[in-house]
Amino acid sequence: MTFNAAALLLLIAGLALIGWLAGRARSSMLAGRAGAKLHSRPQYHGWYVALWLFAPAALFLAVWSAVSPGLVTNTVLASEAAKELPAFGFERGAILSDARNVATGRQAAVRIPAAAPLVKPYADASHTYAWVGIAAMLALALAGGLYAFTRIKPDFRARTRVEKIVMLLLLVASLVAILTTFGIVLSLLFESIRFFRLVSPAELLFGTNWAPTSGAPVKDTFGGIPLFWGTVLIGAIIAMIVAIPIGMMSAVYLTQYANPRVRRWVKPCLEILAGVPTVVYGYFAALTVAPALREFAVMIGIPNASTESALAAGIVMGVMIIPFVSSMADDSINAVPQAMRDGSLALGATPNETIRQVLIPAALPGVMGGILLAVSRAIGETMIVVMAAGLSANMTANPFASVTTVTAQIVKLLTGDQEFDSAKTLAAFALGLVLFVVTLLLNIVALRIVKKYREAYE
Amino acid sequence: MSDRTSPTDWKGGAMQGRIARRYAAERRFRLLGLGAVLLSGLFLAFLLFTMVGNGLRGFTYTNVEVPVDFKAMPLTVDASRLGDADADQVIAGAGLADIVAFAADEALGDGGSAMISENAWKEVRTAIKADPDLLKGATVFHLPTSSTVDIAAKEGAKGELGAKVDALERDGKLSTGIHWPFFKNADATDPAVAGIWGALKGSVLTILIAFLIAFPTGVLAALYLEEYAPKNRWTDLIEVSINNLAAVPSIIFGLLALAVFINWFGICQASALVGGLTLALMTMPVIVIASRNAIKSVPPSIRDAALGVGASPVQVVFHHVLPLALPGILTGTIIGMARALGETAPLLLIGMRAFIGDVPSGVCSPATVLPMQIFLWSDEVDRGFVEKTSAAIIVLLIVLLSMNALAIYLRNKFEKRW
Repeated sequence: MTFNAAALLLLIAGLALIGWLAGRARSSMLAGRAGAKLHSRPQYHGWYVALWLFAPAALFLAVWSAVSPGLVTNTVLASEAAKELPAFGFERGAILSDARNVATGRQAAVRIPAAAPLVKPYADASHTYAWVGIAAMLALALAGGLYAFTRIKPDFRARTRVEKIVMLLLLVASLVAILTTFGIVLSLLFESIRFFRLVSPAELLFGTNWAPTSGAPVKDTFGGIPLFWGTVLIGAIIAMIVAIPIGMMSAVYLTQYANPRVRRWVKPCLEILAGVPTVVYGYFAALTVAPALREFAVMIGIPNASTESALAAGIVMGVMIIPFVSSMADDSINAVPQAMRDGSLALGATPNETIRQVLIPAALPGVMGGILLAVSRAIGETMIVVMAAGLSANMTANPFASVTTVTAQIVKLLTGDQEFDSAKTLAAFALGLVLFVVTLLLNIVALRIVKKYREAYE
Repeated sequence: MSDRTSPTDWKGGAMQGRIARRYAAERRFRLLGLGAVLLSGLFLAFLLFTMVGNGLRGFTYTNVEVPVDFKAMPLTVDASRLGDADADQVIAGAGLADIVAFAADEALGDGGSAMISENAWKEVRTAIKADPDLLKGATVFHLPTSSTVDIAAKEGAKGELGAKVDALERDGKLSTGIHWPFFKNADATDPAVAGIWGALKGSVLTILIAFLIAFPTGVLAALYLEEYAPKNRWTDLIEVSINNLAAVPSIIFGLLALAVFINWFGICQASALVGGLTLALMTMPVIVIASRNAIKSVPPSIRDAALGVGASPVQVVFHHVLPLALPGILTGTIIGMARALGETAPLLLIGMRAFIGDVPSGVCSPATVLPMQIFLWSDEVDRGFVEKTSAAIIVLLIVLLSMNALAIYLRNKFEKRW
């Protein structure tokens, strides 16, 4: 007997359906018998009963499924068999989860012998807590349902009540966004502070040596500058050198020159570039672009060309960003009033003179905002750099050399086998915090620019 | 003004030259624009061409004829036990693998057993289970070759192996067929039996969970913000955080999931459940923004009319606004889901990187997703995995492009101009 949240949710949903039917039947019966007019239509009475039946029980279910594993573990730890467990750390966790897996039937037999005596206490405890939980949940559901059912009277304002609950539901749904933001900020801050107790923030931000090792923190191995440089080199320099001219010129061509039929077909084609998953770009960069670039570098006589190069990752990332830049430029150019364009053409300027000297200067703030957003997206991109840029922290301006980025290092730090409390693991969260803050600032500035400029013309 | 300039001499050589230069610049600029569009198109074509070129071969596999004579090498198995649940162990215990290897050596010459896949005997096992009468005589099986032979047959090879493969081809012993294990199996270390079914099922489970959480939450939040929310500091905060969440790098969501879902709440690691929750948080802002636009485009006259005949504000929204906005909402949701389906980075952090040899059985069992399978295979040293990777990419791209096409179709079909 284990605690199966999905099945229980279905159970109370079924009970709620019965409640709905009962509430509806009761209210129409009352209306028929007393000859009185119902304030709300019968289905609202039904909804009232169903909501009272479902909501408290579902809330309890959510809380219980979050809390009960901890309670079960505590009971097991208090039992006789847990006395011989190692005090702390990774091994203890592994033994416990091994026993849990066997007890819940997810695994046929224990993999670690030390877990064997814990299986029975685990099974017993989860059995007990599952029954306690189910009993409490059913009691809550029935109590809620009965309470709502007894309140059904012809003049009961069921619709108003139900609508209040619906509004509450809508509010809660929109609060999820705030909750997520807080979750991100808190989890990043919390783990970063633990990291900054071991390594000073100044070292992470201004140190020049990046060579984290497992175990105790060694001084001067968490210098972030090489990562920041690699990120800027790939995301803000190489990718933008590819994306800005191609994206801008595509936007200009598609808005000013191409006939509408061509535009209707070409634009979605360009957008496919943005829809290709990044892991595909990464594979393409690593398998096709990087070796070709290496051969090219060797041909023109660059000595230490590597197959993992900043250039390969940057170029492919730039291509990925083209549709992004071009649609932002497209919007800004379209927002320039037609009168300005007509005026320039009427003075005898050719279309390209109009575009270069009137449209683009007028659209520039919007284009700049778009470019900042593109940069923010490029520095947060992970898979392409993980697969094609390499993992060695180099401070080099040579685009054929291998460099590493913030995102690639986050992945590297978190995918090894290590305990969760080492400085190495916590460093990933500190890097995540830096990345979050930088992209947030870029986005805020970019949106400001775009918004301000829009107001100037409309 | 006394010094009147003479009128412009439009026909003069200097002016004509200038105009010609300006027109030439115009043509160059136009060509530059066209070039930029073509360059992007070319890159897309090159990308797709490379993937399809590499990947199509991943859907087929080279088989070789191996006659197995069970009369000469009897497999001592009680035929009545072949229907039992433990038939696999019984056959393996009787030494079928050795018999098949011996037969291959005999048929293909020295080193023949190395030319068939190390899992080839399992095909024979399946055949025997389906028809126990095979054990009484000699049968010619078409067994999958080893990965190196498969590549040699597809691409041609030099040296001893190349000569052997050429000889087999001349004798007509090689055949190529659709590689069903690729669609039916989960990951494996042997490219001859590695497949995408496990990852595909993991992807479907993950996306389903993400949809079930993100869609209702996103739509309800959009309804609240667009229809009811008062203009105050709190709703501003909600709005700003939704817009920011839409622009947060995806890997940050991975860090959030690792810290909150796995380390604080202890939800089953590396499972479709955690993956779905993570992707739901990522897609929710996208759905909110798309839904708000769809809701905004429903004209106020409809709300006024409904209010006028006595509907309550909640009835106005749920009976009139929401049904009219639904096509737009669905379009945005499908696009958001397609993006989530192609996402790898956040899932990498929550442990979905591990090798998973089984098809996931539930939302809490270890699972992998299609993009992650591509990432894992791209790291394999075995040459046989190169075409597997590209084949998996083709499958992923087909799924994603058809989702996007569906979104465009829905938009065109249901788009209303009010």
